[in-house]
Amino acid sequence: MEQLLNEQVAGQIKQAFAELANPVQLLFFGLKESCDYCGETQQMLTELSALDSRLHLSIHDLKEDAAVATQYRVDKVPAIVLASKNGDQVIDLGVQFSGIPAGYEFSTLINDIILASKQTTGLGAATREFLQTLTKPLHLQVFVTPT
Amino acid sequence: MLAHQMAMENPSMIRAEAVDAMEFPELSDQFSVQGVPQTVIDSGKGIVVGAAGEAQMLAEIKRALQN
Repeated sequence: MEQLLNEQVAGQIKQAFAELANPVQLLFFGLKESCDYCGETQQMLTELSALDSRLHLSIHDLKEDAAVATQYRVDKVPAIVLASKNGDQVIDLGVQFSGIPAGYEFSTLINDIILASKQTTGLGAATREFLQTLTKPLHLQVFVTPT
Repeated sequence: MLAHQMAMENPSMIRAEAVDAMEFPELSDQFSVQGVPQTVIDSGKGIVVGAAGEAQMLAEIKRALQN
């Protein structure tokens, strides 16, 4: 299949990934049937993870790996979960994409990977303090279009 | 993405999901998404239409959590 990330884009990403620090794990969830964008998303992530050795990718099927999907609260495909990796330990960061991260969302994914790797959020002190003291689960869903 | 940054701050409590509105129209309809970005807090306890800054998003989250 044709490369999704052309040479120029791949070069730019490699440059951006120069500042990566700690390993990052990407979990891809797809489905063999009735999933329009699963193949393309999986290919994009495969090409992306090949650009830097600190980036790890695991491929899962929503049905066949139902336990993993449940663990990461994935219920639709294609989905990507961003986690940090410490040896064999994968630490869920609560960050998920539902749908192919194309266009602007691709930049979001790249930025998320960099933040996760540097283990920083870039948020202000007041925001961080409030979020860290939350005692109830909070679910944020951001609807976007990949244009 | 702001919501993702917030999740990373406290992943045991916060989950942030970027949803492609075109690929998941039923979910978009459920929350009456007409423009993007639109942030839905706790399945509709709060809704932020358009791109919001950190302070505005935080205020909306606080408001939603009180409901």
